[in-house]
Amino acid sequence: MSVVPREQIRLLMGEVLAAQGKELPDDDSVDLRDIGFRSLDFSELALRIEDEIGEELNFDAAGLRQVQSVGDVLDLLTELQGQ
Amino acid sequence: MTHSRGSSSNDRLPGQSNALIDARSGASTTWAALPGVTLPAPVAVVVGSSFDALAAVHAHARTGAELLVVARTRMDENLRNELRAAGFTVLDGEHVDPATDDRAAEDGRLWLLTSGSTGRATRVGHTLSSLTTVSGRLPPRRWLCPYSPGTYAWWQVVTLGLSSIGQDLVIVDPADLDSWVAAGIEHGITAASGTPTFWRRTLMSHGDDITRVPLKQVTLGGEPVDQAVLDHLHAAFPSARISWIYASSEVGASIVVHDGRAGFPVEWLERDSPGRARLAVVDGELVITSPHHGSGLVGAVRTGDAVMVEDGRVLITGRIDADEINVGGAKVSAGMVRSVLQSHPDVAWAHVHGRKAPVVGRMVVADVVLTSGETAAPGIVAELTRWCQDRLPEYGVPRRIRLLAAIPAKETLKSDV
Repeated sequence: MSVVPREQIRLLMGEVLAAQGKELPDDDSVDLRDIGFRSLDFSELALRIEDEIGEELNFDAAGLRQVQSVGDVLDLLTELQGQ
Repeated sequence: MTHSRGSSSNDRLPGQSNALIDARSGASTTWAALPGVTLPAPVAVVVGSSFDALAAVHAHARTGAELLVVARTRMDENLRNELRAAGFTVLDGEHVDPATDDRAAEDGRLWLLTSGSTGRATRVGHTLSSLTTVSGRLPPRRWLCPYSPGTYAWWQVVTLGLSSIGQDLVIVDPADLDSWVAAGIEHGITAASGTPTFWRRTLMSHGDDITRVPLKQVTLGGEPVDQAVLDHLHAAFPSARISWIYASSEVGASIVVHDGRAGFPVEWLERDSPGRARLAVVDGELVITSPHHGSGLVGAVRTGDAVMVEDGRVLITGRIDADEINVGGAKVSAGMVRSVLQSHPDVAWAHVHGRKAPVVGRMVVADVVLTSGETAAPGIVAELTRWCQDRLPEYGVPRRIRLLAAIPAKETLKSDV
């Protein structure tokens, strides 16, 4: 299975936001609410990664966790590719 | 058992002298000149081409022999055994499979096979009379018959050719459809009926050539009809009447609209009119009480088609089980999203569906064929996203748009999705 590295996920995240007329800041600690990155955007980003790796991500494996910052998103989607 | 009803029934077939042209061979004949066949009713006739089915149809029309026509591409061992167990002799060219359960033939009965939602073939009973939904004096026309033999749409065109004076048929098999425009020019086709997918493929593949077919009547049916395809057809055939028809094996041809607009007027709902279908909407579903319904279907029939009312028109958006996409609790009509995409000038065809996604459950995604056929046109996905953002709620905007090179289609001429 191919893997989308964290930096590429960041680029994809920037594309998702750009399509909504928004920008992704460089700082990973920025709160998602401050940049308007919402559940639809997160879902789209997940689909983009699935299309890249040719497999469905298993979100059950992630369990319950808070995803509040840009870094949280990047970490979660990086981890899920290995599960 | 063979069936014979005598020659007097020929009087009931005013179209006997209409021309029948086989586009594949170029052969031309008339109903009256078709070779006579004797049908061992009840009989299922398996045909390799649409033209080959006409002799059996004519024999049924003359004798009333119980008949089912099925394309060879649709026949498999299960269906063959089911038909034989249901009392049908299965005739496949020279090959005869006798019925395994003998029963008396039903005089005048025609059977259609419908796939339904399960994909398993079920039989719906009709008669020539219930399938003949066009009446009155018609202007002379030469019709394209592009449908798979034995389907409801095929019977609609065939019964028109059989029962109305001056209605010639040019028979094109679904497998040869890409060449129908050449046949249309050669044989002077003036009327053609097809699904929106068929028309989109035609407009996309044949460019200006299509305008050389001297069409006076353009008919659409079998799938939801949106405004964009009607507008494209009007532009290609400005002097043709453009109609769309809602018809199915179960309820027959129940809605016919000639005003060039998608949907039908909301005033047609709940209206009782002799000889016409009564239309209603129940919980967002189209419900039809039809004078043309199949045997055993009495009263109001739930069609399984989703509708919505917009600007005084009742729009049919798609099958209920496939139309609604639940995006994080917000309901989206796939048909409405498709309609928005297909209204973009660069889009020839679109298929919209839900895709499993984290957090929101499902997301709206789309497959799109551009009029150019390009699959890597720079910037077009962003442009289509903006187009949808301007016209749809946020949760209805497709988040993934995949570009395909050609419109997928199957033998029913519906999109292969």
